[in-house]
This record gives sequence, structure tokens and C-alpha cells, in this order.
Amino acid sequence: MHDLYAFVSGPLVWVAFIIFFGGSIYRLVSMAILAKKKDGVVFEYFNFKYALRSIFHWIIPFASTNWRLHPWMTIVTFAFHIGLIFTPVFLFAHIILIKESWDISWWAMPDGLADILTLVVIASCVFFFVRRQVLPEVKYLTSTSDYVILVLVALPFITGFWTYHQWPESTFMGILHILSGEVMLAVIPFTKLSHMLFFPITRGYMGSEFGGVRQAKDW
Amino acid sequence: MRKTLGLLFLFSFLAASLVGFSAYCQEDISFVGDSAFTERMRPSVPFLHDDHNEMANIEDCNECHHVWEDGKKLEWDSSEDKECSECHLSQESGDSDMDLIKAYHNMCKECHIGQKAGPVQCSECHIK
Repeated sequence: MHDLYAFVSGPLVWVAFIIFFGGSIYRLVSMAILAKKKDGVVFEYFNFKYALRSIFHWIIPFASTNWRLHPWMTIVTFAFHIGLIFTPVFLFAHIILIKESWDISWWAMPDGLADILTLVVIASCVFFFVRRQVLPEVKYLTSTSDYVILVLVALPFITGFWTYHQWPESTFMGILHILSGEVMLAVIPFTKLSHMLFFPITRGYMGSEFGGVRQAKDW
Repeated sequence: MRKTLGLLFLFSFLAASLVGFSAYCQEDISFVGDSAFTERMRPSVPFLHDDHNEMANIEDCNECHHVWEDGKKLEWDSSEDKECSECHLSQESGDSDMDLIKAYHNMCKECHIGQKAGPVQCSECHIK
């Protein structure tokens, strides 16, 4: 168990971050090259003003027509993404490890808040899971990998909650927590989770086309 | 009625012995502590000094209670008469290795990983 802990909390962290950053750069660059070759208008019509205007309306809850049409999805997805990003970054236990490794630290959220956000993330994953099975228009577009992704995203939060509350086998769960976090990070560039990278570009281009060409709102 | 009374006695006996037992255990347990820790973010770490050293085969006090001078650990000096915080407060030295929490974490974790024995994860030491 000691060797395993040393491995997942040492070299594997570097591997995960290198795959995440390297893979992200690779995906962005290769997508740009592909777009240049096959879809040159993307570069012609991209407009920062219209892009930012569209992104702005879509990153605020209920600021787009589509958000207002699906209020439950809107509430859950915003709560989910806030928990997904803020919890690991501002978690006291993570910050102390980073501080002791690299001598940098920042504000940590209270543990109680982290607990609530973690439960929100897990519950949201259940919501997305059920949604994919219940709504015909979503089910039609769902493949097995979508369920796998949901499990990959939920796992670090379930195991983190588990080991923080010191439920049985929390040492094993701690290792699974680190490992599942690394897997999630590493698969981001190569799965649908890559919307983290592509969202500003796809949304930005839609905004550009709607603003510059069709002269209409896209929110 | 007699049955109920008997059960009541049994329960109170069990409860009393539980309280007595845990009180006895509490006396036996000691914790890692330093007066510099005023506001605790995590539960204190249970630590039986003599049992630990017997199990870990540690005979020299300065294995843990070390004294460093000019970047070198002094082989024949030890610091068991001091609190860790007397030296380990980063505000004074600006050296992060002198940070009190980091000093405790490193002292325990690095040795445990090296020896492949003892707790290394948060939940293994800071037991709720």
C-alpha cells in the first residue's frame, strides 16, 4: 500500500498533468489545423466581440432562451460545474499538499461547504444519468461512453467524500480517490469532457456567425 | 416486571462498563501536540510515543527530536527538551521546511513511506 500510495501521489500526478496539458494543446492545435484545411470560413468570420457576447450570455444561468426553456437542467448544470471546478481547487486538504510540495497556497473553502458542493456534484451526476435514460431526444444521442464519463467524473467526488468522512476502507478509498482524479484529468482532452477546451471556440464561432453573418442573437 | 427490571439492570451495566472502558482507553492514548497549534483544522493525531518507537526500532531520540545547524543535522545533539514550534515557525526563518505543519507531515510521512510502514494518508492520522 505504501509503494502504491507513493506511486499514485508522486509520478502518476505528473503523468496525469502532462497528458492533460499536452493532450489539450495537441487537441486545440490539431483542431485548428483541421479547420484551416476543411473549414476556412471559421477563421474568416471569427469575431471577438460577437464571440464574447455569445459566451457571456451562455455562461450566466437563464441568460439564454435555451436555459430558460430547461430550468431544471440549467440549475443542475450550473451547480454541477461550479462544484466540479471550485471544490478540488479550493479544498483545504488539496491546498496543504500543494503548499508542502511547491510552496504556493491560496484561499481554502470551509470543509462544510466542500461537503455540500461534493454532494451537489454527485447528485448532479445521478441527474444527468437519469436524464440520458428518460428524455428520448437525449437518449437518442447517448452512447456507452457518455455513461462511462459520468462515472469517471463522479468517482473522485464519491471517493473523496468517503475518505474525508473516514468510512470503512478509507485508506483504499484514498488511493482510489487520487487515481480516479488522475484518470479524469487525463481523459479530458480525448473525450466529450474536451468541451472544457472547445466550449469558448464553438460557442464563440456560433456567436460570430450569428452576429456577423445572420445578424441575429444566438442565445 | 422482573424481566424488564433484569433487562434494565443489564443495560445499565453494559452502559456503565462502556463508559468505564472508554475512560480507561482515553488515559492510555496520547496525542501529537504543540502549544503553537491554537486553531485546529483537523483532529489531533493519536500517538503512543514509547509503543511507536518500540515498534519502529527507534533508539536515538534525535531520529525525530533533531537539531540542525548550517544545513546539517547534528549527529550528537537532540532537542527533546524543546517544543517543535520553538524552531519550526516559518515566519521567523522564511524557509518553508521550517513550517510547523509541514515539519510534522514530512517527519511522519517521509519516514513511513521509506520504511513502508505506518500511516501516510490524511485520514490515517487525523482520525475523527
